[in-house]
Amino acid sequence: MSRGGNETMAEKNEIVRVEELVKDFRSGLSWKPKRALRGISFKVFEGEIFGFVGPNGAGKTTTLKILMGLIRPSSGEASLLGHSVGASEFRRHVGFLPENPYFYDYLTASEILEFFAKVSGVARAERADRVRTLLEWVGLDHAAHQRLRGYSKGMLQRIGIAQALVHDPKVVFLDEPMSGLDPIGRKEIRDLILRLRSEGKTVFMNTHILSDVESVCDRVAIIAGGQIRYEGRIESFLGEGERCSDVVLAGVPARTLVRMEKSFGADATGIGDRTEFCIAEKNVNALLQMALDSDAEVISVTAHRVSLEDVFLEAVHASRENR
Amino acid sequence: MSIPRVAALATNTVRQAVRSRLLYTLLFFGLVLIATSVGVSSLSYVESERIVQDVGLAAIRLFGVGIAIFVGVGLIHDEIERRTIYTMLSKPLSRSEFIVGKYMGLLLTVWAQLAIMSLAFLAVSWVVGAPLGWNLVAALGLVGIELMVVVAVATFFSSFTTPLLSSLFSVGIYLAGNLSRDIRSLGFQSGDAIVEFAGQALYRALPDLQSFNLTVQAVHGLPISSLEIGLPVVYGVGYSVVLLMASALIFERRDLR
Repeated sequence: MSRGGNETMAEKNEIVRVEELVKDFRSGLSWKPKRALRGISFKVFEGEIFGFVGPNGAGKTTTLKILMGLIRPSSGEASLLGHSVGASEFRRHVGFLPENPYFYDYLTASEILEFFAKVSGVARAERADRVRTLLEWVGLDHAAHQRLRGYSKGMLQRIGIAQALVHDPKVVFLDEPMSGLDPIGRKEIRDLILRLRSEGKTVFMNTHILSDVESVCDRVAIIAGGQIRYEGRIESFLGEGERCSDVVLAGVPARTLVRMEKSFGADATGIGDRTEFCIAEKNVNALLQMALDSDAEVISVTAHRVSLEDVFLEAVHASRENR
Repeated sequence: MSIPRVAALATNTVRQAVRSRLLYTLLFFGLVLIATSVGVSSLSYVESERIVQDVGLAAIRLFGVGIAIFVGVGLIHDEIERRTIYTMLSKPLSRSEFIVGKYMGLLLTVWAQLAIMSLAFLAVSWVVGAPLGWNLVAALGLVGIELMVVVAVATFFSSFTTPLLSSLFSVGIYLAGNLSRDIRSLGFQSGDAIVEFAGQALYRALPDLQSFNLTVQAVHGLPISSLEIGLPVVYGVGYSVVLLMASALIFERRDLR
């Protein structure tokens, strides 16, 4: 399901293009492969922060690994900056921060950046300047000569972002950049991501922390069970989104309850003799009518906008039903 | 293949490898064995200097190979296990460059250990009054080439399997490689065309590690022709290059999960 906004992107350059991507993994002695990605397609455009959101095991990291050329797709296509992801030369335009990164902890911050600059082909004359600038940029200039084994998780995450930027890439991929960080660490990383956008970089961010997506992303795709469930601009979730209502009823007969769930495709949550539904606003009147017809009592009706969390939970729920 | 990228990776691999406790343990025991060869030689009434050199060269080969295999097999696996390889391969670094960089780093580390053991060996030889000559240098040089092949074997197996299996396979190839000439001879002697063909094929596939062993000539002061040095060098370099190409090919297709 798309929530609009793509037509405004038509004239922007495509940075990432994924089409019908499928990935099967064989595990242990089992002959039957496990399908991690079930034909996903999406695009990321120049200059945007794209949030790739999903629960654990949804296929986020698998997708990212395919984009980074670490694993091969079983079928389908993925391209970065117009190049097939299998090639390595165009990677001078791509930066990557893996999830829970580990760096050679016997090196200092400036040594590791110097090393990655060499591996990335940064010219010798530019290296020292680039390393100094990046350390300042991520706020680690004071710890430049400290070995990484003494770094906190937040500091490691910042050095991870610095290494991803060491060759001044056009697009940066971040896998769970804020996981495991305290609120201050998260804010620092969030600010760095926003600075990347202001410098014209495209950012692709894998995450399951929805508040981070809401605060930094321009567009979002929700993946669950190896399928893209939603894709669209973040405003469509937060501003002009579909309205829904929480309806609390009491004394609903079991038969009516089943009929309500079937008719409105909503799951009921029971607390004592009370039953709570979260349904689309257009269905509220019909649900209330059904409740009154069965002599149930209406306790409350609260309207609210659909949040990213609602859409996320709906996507996860749908993927579990499809299993 | 970018030389600066490979050089950066090789330098880092050396820094990584010299942090291995196993490396120092093996080096320590290698040096101990070289030193104690003096004691072993005193048990003999004749040619005790030659026994010192025999034991010393055997210790250098044995512990050099130990370092090459047991330190080498973990290096690529560690990169995958700790996920440092994800960051590395997201850079404009091909998988072939990664394999060659790791190989060169490990080879430099092994050669540095060989140099240390060789110095200790030459010092012990000098102390006991054993003859020191170019023959010894040639023999030590060919041990270096042999280690080049063994490091390539360890790199090859670690490009697709676990450290434990890589160690087992590499030790197996090392042992079989030292017997490859015997395998060929057995084939010839069998008189059966199929066994002869199999023996010949195994000899071609396995590294002929005996071709790098100049211990007898070096210790007994026998003349060594330039072909006896040149051919093994060409063979060792060629064999290593082929193994590295195969490693790169396999590693290129591997999913790094």
